Amino acid sequence: MDISTFLASLESSGIATGIRNSLYIFPLIESTHVFGLAMVFGTIAIIDLRLLGIASTRRSFRRMASDILKWTWVAFGVTAATGALMFITNAGVYYHNFFFRTKMLMLALAGINMLVFELTAARSIHRWDKAPSAPLIGRTTAVLSLVIWITIIFLGRWIGFTTTRATPVTPSEINFDNLFPGTSDGTTPATPPNDQR
Amino acid sequence: MTRFAEWLSQTYLSIVIQNHNSWVIPTIQSIHIVGIGVVVASVFMVDLRILGWAGMDQTLRQTTNRFGPWLTGGLCVLLATGGLMVVGEPVRELVTVSFWIKMFLVAVGTLVATVFQISLRKYEQDWEGTFSRRASIKCLALVTFLIWVAIIILGRLIAYDHVWGSWSPAHKS
Repeated sequence: MDISTFLASLESSGIATGIRNSLYIFPLIESTHVFGLAMVFGTIAIIDLRLLGIASTRRSFRRMASDILKWTWVAFGVTAATGALMFITNAGVYYHNFFFRTKMLMLALAGINMLVFELTAARSIHRWDKAPSAPLIGRTTAVLSLVIWITIIFLGRWIGFTTTRATPVTPSEINFDNLFPGTSDGTTPATPPNDQR
Repeated sequence: MTRFAEWLSQTYLSIVIQNHNSWVIPTIQSIHIVGIGVVVASVFMVDLRILGWAGMDQTLRQTTNRFGPWLTGGLCVLLATGGLMVVGEPVRELVTVSFWIKMFLVAVGTLVATVFQISLRKYEQDWEGTFSRRASIKCLALVTFLIWVAIIILGRLIAYDHVWGSWSPAHKS
């Protein structure tokens, strides 16, 4: 199966069709994605600033890592899952988008950078756990981590500005007004905008 | 409000932003998201400390000393970039339900954080001792975090105000 067949099969899947046909699900998935990535970036930044000796310098690094990083992984799971759901609604378009591709590359780099940290500075943690900052290699990976994650945020926003959202195949049957009988003024709901700005 | 939004869209700064729309707006939005990350993680760490789930090697005061300034700084960045977004696209922002609920919750969230900081300074002993062990205080910490989660979600929903159906002013006009 070549890639375009695969992307088309993702797009025609039941989940993707369901998301496209709803007025509400895509916006809610995207909102959750923003919440998740804010948590990922925010918690990683706390760790990076500790490594750099900028903040939390009097705390044990090991203690901080065990307090925080589990939440980073939970948030990353939420962000990756919501990202995948957005991707399958319009897989062909996202796959060929320059900013999407660069973002995926940056995510891979973030992973490699984390591995480098784990294999170098983290190995000698007993020597600098209570020191105000990490050794040079640890500080380098911290700077790279901050740069990579901020770049990922920018690239993500650029995907929204350079792609159009998939149009629903059938008009949505459920709309917000039906959920609250009596509040509707009897007119049809506004047409959703066809972009993700 | 629509009239004010239309007037704002004719101001010099607004026109400058509109003319460079293709990169200015996404740049401001991206910086806004970076700021959100700093703010939400700062609130999260203080709330986890109150709940007793993280930072238990630190006092509550040490925790707020660490994250308070970042929270304030982050909020300033959000206010500046958010303000530029309103000036740049006043109709899109001001004529939505999500924006106004969000602004209300931002006011509530900021008020809670301010009252907490003042109270902690005044009754430090009580906060470090009995306060943070009370179930009501732990609930408040959880609710505070959920307010900031709602703020983030509503922020993104400004782009999709149709989700509010006939409640959306954009729908009526």
